[in-house]
Order: sequence, then structure tokens, then C-alpha cells
Amino acid sequence: MSDDKRSSDPTQRFREMLTEWERGFDALANRFMGTDEFSRTMNQFQNVQLGAQKAFAEAMAKQLAALNLPSREDVLRVGEAVQALETRLARLESRLGEIGESVGAQPKPRPGPPRTRRPPERQDPPR
Amino acid sequence: MSTPDPLVVQTAAQVQRLVDQAILRGMKGLEFVTAPAPAVGLTPKETLYQRGTLQLYHYLPQADEVYRVPVLLVMATTNRGYVFDLAPGQSMVEYLLQAGFDVYAIDWAPPRPEERHLDLATYTQDFIPTSIRKVREHCGEPDVSIVGYCMGGVLSLIYAATHPGGPLKNLACITTPVNWAEMGLTRIWSDPKHFDVDRLVDTLGIVPVDVVQASFEMLRPAQRTAGRIRVWEQIWNDEFVKSYRAFERWGNETLPLAGEYFRETTKELMWGNRLYTGELRVEGRLADLSNIRVPVMHAIAEHDHIVSFAASKPLLELVGSEDKAELVMKGGHVSLIAGPNAVRRMWPKLSSWLAERST
Repeated sequence: MSDDKRSSDPTQRFREMLTEWERGFDALANRFMGTDEFSRTMNQFQNVQLGAQKAFAEAMAKQLAALNLPSREDVLRVGEAVQALETRLARLESRLGEIGESVGAQPKPRPGPPRTRRPPERQDPPR
Repeated sequence: MSTPDPLVVQTAAQVQRLVDQAILRGMKGLEFVTAPAPAVGLTPKETLYQRGTLQLYHYLPQADEVYRVPVLLVMATTNRGYVFDLAPGQSMVEYLLQAGFDVYAIDWAPPRPEERHLDLATYTQDFIPTSIRKVREHCGEPDVSIVGYCMGGVLSLIYAATHPGGPLKNLACITTPVNWAEMGLTRIWSDPKHFDVDRLVDTLGIVPVDVVQASFEMLRPAQRTAGRIRVWEQIWNDEFVKSYRAFERWGNETLPLAGEYFRETTKELMWGNRLYTGELRVEGRLADLSNIRVPVMHAIAEHDHIVSFAASKPLLELVGSEDKAELVMKGGHVSLIAGPNAVRRMWPKLSSWLAERST
């Protein structure tokens, strides 16, 4: 009965067919991609790309060094140094907060709604 | 006068409906193609703290009276946090605010190249504790509840396991992987026999979006095409299109990952499965889940294609808490937090679970 009704609505039937196709395709693809062979090929391909990228970056760094210009790595090191300072400051701030707490200094909360809300009473099921 | 054949009437109605939809499809198709990206994350908020990739938001309360304990949402590192706040009516944040919670959220900006050295310790021993401190200072309460989604749940678990002394009050995890041996295709693709994580990280520093996005899309290769066909077929349905576009935008805005963090996740969690075995050490601290004693809730999706049911299921067995609850739902990885089932079941369950433990 329900099958007849389903097939009589072309929109519904189309949606069902699409879902079936999606599931079937995904299952098939996942079976293929779940093999050791696929994993090896995919990672080999990635390694080739990475090798090319590394070689290009090294060549570029040499060119920049010859021109007496900073390389990406040089700029990153400066960025990292700044980031390390930022982290140290954050840790100091955190430590100061902990010391403040240990001596009983309470942070002043910002004004807002009262924090007194209670959970709604549970409705016990009728016996 | 003879009564018309019901089959003829039914067929005529169907044809009429199909014609109407085809006309609307033509009209709305152009609108769909030319419309700007949908607005997301519209619930009013303020940025409380920002440091590199870390963003801490406070959502403005929407209730006259709130629960004492604030809630801190911790987003997965692979995606933007606005999945918690996709659109009005489709927003977990909005739901929690209206239920009377004071809501904060950790979101992640794309890590900058100089943040390539961020690791598990940075996220769990610096970013989360710093955010908790900021939340406590802001609201004036001594304790905080955490709700972590996916890898956000993993980071929250590691934080909780390495800080058993508090100030965590409650921990809710959503689709959080703990047994990484059950990560299916992701585990096969990152098999150490073939996958050279050191080479990837040492060469690139930051793991690019393409790699992260491909690893998600390859799990369901037909999803994007089927989604496009679905939206074409239902393009006359404004609500469906709005939701589709918001999800599509979110899916396209995948984040790159800090290299060290990716390396450590791969080696310690994916290959070593050390969160599951209780051997994970972060900054010298043992992240043994049995150290966690606070109330824990875990929401699991039965049909999750990213974090399999088997990968997330063992969480409650591993934590040391006495007060623990599990919610198994039929949805998938994303629909669990932002789909129709989330609105009907997950948010109300999460809200009532937190409410009973937030006074």
C-alpha cells in the first residue's frame, strides 16, 4: 500500500532515488577508498606534491638570500618570536590572576541579569 | 452529473503542483545563484578575548534571570564556531540563551603561519584554561560548564582530565571521538605505513584547508553533488534553501590546522590511541579520562560518518564520574548540533541536563 502511494508521487520517488544513488555511490567509493592500495597511492601522490613544494621553497629561499631579502622562513621566525612574547604575557597575566585569587581578590562581575534561575520543576509521570 | 475519477483528480493536482514548482524553480534559481553568502552567527555577542587563533565570545543574555553557572562552548578546531549559531531558529546558542544560560564560546580563527607550533598542550593547557579564567572574571562565578563539539570535545576532555581540581562544573561532549582505532577510513588513510605526517608538517607548517576539507569530503564523495540536486529540486522551498546555504557556507569554511597540533593528533591519538588507553601525556600531565569526576553527558550520532558511533561510544565507560548520561540520536555529525533533530531533541536534553546542574 505504502509502496504504491510512494511511487505515485514523482517528487517523492525522485528524492528516494537520489538518496539511494547517494548511498550506493558512497558505499562503493568507500569500499574502493578503504583499501590499502588506495591509501598508498593517495599518500604517494601527496608525497610527490610535497617534494615539489619543498624543492621550490628551497630554491626560492636561495634566490631571496642572494638578493639579501628575508625568506618566508625568516619572516615566520620573527612572527613566532612575537607570538612567544604574546604567550608569555598571557601566562604572566594568568599567573597574576591566580595570585590575586589566592589572596582573596574577587573579580568584579559585570552587571547582568541575576544568576538565581532554578531549573523547572520535574513533572513526575502519573502513577 | 458524474463524479470525477479520484485518480484523475489526484494526477491533475500532482501535475499542477509540479508545474507550480517548476515555475518557482525558474524564478528562484537565478536568485540562488546571484544571492550573497547567507548571514550566519547573528546572535548578538561581544569578543571577550582574542589571541591568534583563539577567539572567546560572550553572547548577550536573553533571559531576565540566568543560571548561576556559565556555559562555555568549545568548537572543533577544523571548523568555524557559527555552526552553534547558524541562523535564528536554527541556533543552539539562541536556544540556550532563551533557556536562561549565560553562554560563552571558544571559536578558532585560521591559525597564522607563525602558529604552526601550537600543539595539544597549547590548546588544552593554555587556550582552554585562559578562556575559563576570562569567563570567571567576566561573570564572577567560580565554576564553569563546558560543552565541546567533536575535536572541541576531545580538547575539553584532555583539559578536564589534566585539571581534576576544577574549576569545571559539568562537561557535555557532542560526537567526541575517544577510541581512534574505530575512526574508519580516516584511520586507513593516515596509516603510518603510507602517511608521512612529519614530511607533511615539516614542509607545510600549517596543514592547508584543501587537505582538511578533502579528508572530510572523501568520506561522502557523493554528498556535494546530491546536495546540489536536492537544492535544485526544492529551490522553491525558502526554508530548505536557507538552511542548505548556511550549511554549505559552513562546510566551505573549513579551517587549516596548526602543524604540530596535527602531528600530535595523528601520532598520539590516531596511531597511538592514547586517549583511549589512558596513556596520553600533555605537558607532562597524564590525561587519564578516569581523572574526570564532574558530571558528564555525551551526545552521539548513530549515523555519524566522520566520528563513527564505535569511536565515540566508549567515553562514558572511561570517565571516572558517577553522574553521567548518554544521548544516542539518529542524526549525523552535523545534524546532531544544528539539524531538525537537534532542535527537537538534543538542545532540550542538553539544556535540561545542564539546568539541573547549574545552580
